Amino acid sequence: MCPDTKEATTPGADAPENDSIVVCRNLEKHYRQGAIQVPALRGVDLEIHRGDFATLAGPSGSGKTTLLNMIGGLDYPSAGEIIVDGQDLRALTKSDLAEMRLRKIGFVFQAYNLIPVLTAAENIEFILRLQGVGSRERHERARAALADVGLEGLEDRRPSHLSGGQQQRVAVARALINRPAIVLADEPTANLDTQTAGGLIDLMADLNARHGTTFLMGTHDARVIARSRRHIELTDGRISGDELRNT
Amino acid sequence: MLFGLAWRNLWRQKSRTILSMTSMGFASCLLVFVLSLQLGSYETMKTNTLRIFDGFAQLQPPGYADDPDISNYIHDPVAAIAEVRGVNGISAASPRSSTFVVLANGEISYGAAVFGVDPVAESAVSSLATSVGAGRYLSAGDTDTMVLGSALARNLGVEIGDRVTLLGSAADRSVAADSLQVVGLFDTGIPQVDRQVAQMPIDRFRDTFMMEGGANVIVLGGESLSRVNRALPEVREIGARHGLVTLGWAELQPALKQAITLDATTSSAIYVSLVFVVVFIILNTLYMSVLERTREFGVLLAIGMKPGAIGRMMWIELILLAAVGSFFGIALGATAVLWFQKHGIPVAGMEDIMAQFGLPSRIYPRLSLFSALAGPAAILISVTLGGVIPFLRIRRLEPVSAMGAA
Repeated sequence: MCPDTKEATTPGADAPENDSIVVCRNLEKHYRQGAIQVPALRGVDLEIHRGDFATLAGPSGSGKTTLLNMIGGLDYPSAGEIIVDGQDLRALTKSDLAEMRLRKIGFVFQAYNLIPVLTAAENIEFILRLQGVGSRERHERARAALADVGLEGLEDRRPSHLSGGQQQRVAVARALINRPAIVLADEPTANLDTQTAGGLIDLMADLNARHGTTFLMGTHDARVIARSRRHIELTDGRISGDELRNT
Repeated sequence: MLFGLAWRNLWRQKSRTILSMTSMGFASCLLVFVLSLQLGSYETMKTNTLRIFDGFAQLQPPGYADDPDISNYIHDPVAAIAEVRGVNGISAASPRSSTFVVLANGEISYGAAVFGVDPVAESAVSSLATSVGAGRYLSAGDTDTMVLGSALARNLGVEIGDRVTLLGSAADRSVAADSLQVVGLFDTGIPQVDRQVAQMPIDRFRDTFMMEGGANVIVLGGESLSRVNRALPEVREIGARHGLVTLGWAELQPALKQAITLDATTSSAIYVSLVFVVVFIILNTLYMSVLERTREFGVLLAIGMKPGAIGRMMWIELILLAAVGSFFGIALGATAVLWFQKHGIPVAGMEDIMAQFGLPSRIYPRLSLFSALAGPAAILISVTLGGVIPFLRIRRLEPVSAMGAA
C-alpha cells in the first residue's frame, strides 16, 4: 500500500478496502521537456480513507501538486492506477472526468479561483446548477453553505468585494456544496495572513469533524500540518513518510 | 445558465465590449443604409424606366419580343384586358401597337417608332403623358392627332399644330400612310425616347395600319412594380389561356437588368470585404479574450464544467456581442433610411447622368426587410461560424495546462 511509510501506525494497512476514497497504485507521471523526460511521480502507492484530514507535504518539485491533480482527475498518469470512490479514472473520458470532478471532488486552490462575475452565493450555486439542481434548493443550500463557513450576509458580494480570507471561505463552501467524496486543497493558506489562515484551518478541521468530509491538503504550512490527523511526506516523486497523528 | 454567465462575462471588460459592439453596430448601420440606398435606387431606376414607356409587365403574342413585327398582333385584346384587370395587383391594362415609320415634314424626314395607344388607359401604365412640355397629350376624342418626342419634333422642324406625314408598312404588308396633327411634345429626359418616339390614338393606328381592333401588346400597370411582380404568376396563366406570353420587367428591360446585376455584383464584393473586416476584428477580440481567460477556463474545467459547455458559453458571448451590436446598427441604420426615404438625398451636378438611368436628381433609399437584415445577418452568421475556432480551442483545453496559463 504505502511502502515508504516510516511510522509503525501505517495508515491504510489495516483499513478495509471499501473504506478507501482514493487508491493510487504504482502511480507514475513524466513530463517531457524537449527530448528529456522529467519524472514527477515515481511509483506512488497511496490510500486515502473516508474521513481523513490529511496533509501532503514535501519540498517544491516533490510532486505534491502533480499527485493532487492526478487524484482530482485533472491530469493523466503516465502509468499506474487511480481509483476514486470506486471509479478507475483510467477508464474515463475527458467528459466523464469532468462529471466525476463535479460530483465527487471538491477543489480549494491557492488563488481562490472564484468566478469574478458571480456573487459569493452564485459561485456556490454554480456547482449545483451544473448538477441540474432546482432553483429553490440551490438557493437554500448555497446560503446554508455560506453560513457554514461564517459568511452569512455576504451572499450578494462579488469576489472583488471580499477579502482573501473570505474568498477562500467561499471557495471551501463551493468545494463542499456537492457533498464530495474528497476535498483536494492545494496550498489553501498560502495567500492568507496568519490570522486568516488559522481561521481557515479551524474551519476545515471543523467541517471534517462535523460532516466527516475527507480532506487531502497539499501544503508547506506548518500550522496546517500540525492540525492534520494524517501527514504524508513526498520527496522526489515518492512517498517518503506517512504517519497518523493525534491532534 | 450559460446565457446569463455569458452576458455577465461580456461586461467584465466594458470598454472593450462597447468598442466591439460599436464597430459591429457601425458596420451593420452602414450595410443597412447602403443596401437600402442601392436597392432603393434600383427600384427607382426600374420604376421610372418602366413607367415612362414599357409598363411593369406586358402580354405579347409569342415571338413578338424577339421580332416586334406589326403583323404579329393580338387579334382580340379586349377579353384578355378585361380578365387581367381583375387580377389583384394589376390596376391597369392598356392595348398598344407599334411599328417603325418614316415621319416627314415637307422635305425633312426621319425614322421613328410610332405607337398607337388608348389615351385614357395609357396614362395609367405610362408616365409619358406627364412629360409633355408643350401642347397636350392625346385625349379620348382625338382622331388624327400625334404627340412627338421634343428632339424628334426639333429634327423634323415641326411645332404644335403642324401636320406630319407618316409612311410605313401595314400589318397586311400594304403601304400605310397618314397625316396627323402634332398636339404635344414630350420630354422624358431619355434621349432615345425623345428622339425616336411618336404616339397616336390606337383606333387611328388600327385604321392606318390595318389591324382590325388588334394590338401588338397589352401593357400592364399597378400601384408598384413589386405588386405587379407578385401578380405575374396569375397573369401568366391568363395570358397562356389567350395564347399570349407574359414579360416581366427583366424581359422588357434586359439592359437595365444587366446593369443592375453588374452593379450588385461589384458592390457585393465590397460588402463581403466589409463583413470580413468586421468579423475578423470581432473574432480577434474574442480570441484575445479566450487567451486572457484560459486560466479561468482551467478552473471551470477543474470544478466540473465540461469543455463543450465552456466553449458554448464563449460562443454565446460572441453571438450576444454580435447580436446587440447588430441590433443597434439596424435600429440606427433603419432610422436614417426612413428619414432619407422621406426627404431624399440630393445628387448635385449629376442630374443629366442620373436621368439617363431613369433616376431623379434626388435618390431615395428604400427600407425593406432584406435591406435591413441582410447585412447584419451576414455579419452575425459569419461571426457565429467564426466562433468555431475559439470553441474548438476551448474544447481542447486540459485543466492543468489551462490553469497554468498566465
